Amino acid sequence: MKILIADDETLSRRLLEKTLERAGYEVVAVENGKLALDQLCKLDGPRLALLDWVMPELDGPAVCRAVRMRSEQAYVYMVLLTSKGSKEETVLGLESGADDYLTKPFNAEELRARLRVGERILLLEDRLVEARENMRFRATHDQLTSLLNRGAVMDLLARELHRSHREQKTTVILLGDVDHFKRVNDTMGHVVGDEVLTEIANRLIGAVRSYDFVGRYGGEEFLVVLNSCDPAFAPSRAEAIRKSISNRAILTAKGPLTLTMSFGVLLSGEWGIRSVEELLHEVDIALYEAKAAGRDCLRIAKPAAKAEPSSAPLPESARLRQ
Amino acid sequence: MNKTEEGISEPVWNLAELLERVDNDQDLLRDLLNIFKAEFPRTMRSLGSAVAGVDLKNAARLSHTLKGMLSSLGGVRAAAAAARLEVMASAGESASLKSAFDTLVREGASLLPKLDAYMAEVRR
Repeated sequence: MKILIADDETLSRRLLEKTLERAGYEVVAVENGKLALDQLCKLDGPRLALLDWVMPELDGPAVCRAVRMRSEQAYVYMVLLTSKGSKEETVLGLESGADDYLTKPFNAEELRARLRVGERILLLEDRLVEARENMRFRATHDQLTSLLNRGAVMDLLARELHRSHREQKTTVILLGDVDHFKRVNDTMGHVVGDEVLTEIANRLIGAVRSYDFVGRYGGEEFLVVLNSCDPAFAPSRAEAIRKSISNRAILTAKGPLTLTMSFGVLLSGEWGIRSVEELLHEVDIALYEAKAAGRDCLRIAKPAAKAEPSSAPLPESARLRQ
Repeated sequence: MNKTEEGISEPVWNLAELLERVDNDQDLLRDLLNIFKAEFPRTMRSLGSAVAGVDLKNAARLSHTLKGMLSSLGGVRAAAAAARLEVMASAGESASLKSAFDTLVREGASLLPKLDAYMAEVRR
């Protein structure tokens, strides 16, 4: 583990350096508080630090305060090393953000034991961060396909629509539905159905750029968001995505299956300022039209072709999906 | 073993404590003694100038540095003398600064031959 030693006094620094190297640490040694802060603010900087109290540029407590002001980076366990020993000074050191303190001249065994405490705290923090990240992933991703879930992809779409409107660019929305998916589940079982959905998710992810979004919108419905897309290329991009599903069979436990998808496509630049819900309603209509046209194709939603409210298409649940 | 000004018996150099601190690593010990031999006279000269010029801020800073250096090396009595000087300088007690510095000079002078003798012995 990497550890920072900050001490302006050469002899103490050398003694610490050697003691900690012998204990198996990767030591970074600096001679003033400013250099210590620079090291601790690095993205891959040390997460254990031994800081002398009295140092040029910034003293130990000032380094602790500055490190604690950053909230976005990983926790740094800091031990103040000092010859100051009064209760007031101990309180001041701990109040500045230090986790522990040790008086000079240090005892090597005590120093190592206190650093092991620091390592345990850091390990605990790592586990908490990992658990939080897992929970965040589960809250925003679909369990089966690991794609963004409906809520997460809609949030990202809303953000992207604001950005593209502000920058006068076009966001392309594709709403796709697997053709005759119910038949797969009914004839081959849900396990194969899950295999199909997982493979389709992988193909969709493989068909877009790293900065586009793909989410599972519903059962066998997928939402694809192409960010900052040239409108002239939108139809061909959408076609390529559609063909990534139909161009080769999906290998399942019960043999290869050739499946197709139908897509509704919408170019945000053609619709002015609309809410996410309004645009999704429009692309849903286009998807319905693709289904009605025989499936395995795409239809682009056009504002001019928008139907009157009285003749609006059937709601999602009543559409021809199977 | 001599008596300190407070009458407490302290060794000039606590070699046993130092050997424990360096885990009996003779190379490291030699390294530390070399650093000390280079740094101590230089810092003492700067401290002497600060004391002569009644520069309390620098006198406090330099005596703090010497205290750390001496205590790490087991120079117990000289470290105590440096600590007293630091307290005086920090408290603005300029009147007694010179005599506290002289005590530190004396303690340093007692310590250095012991370090030299040890280095000569380990070289043999």
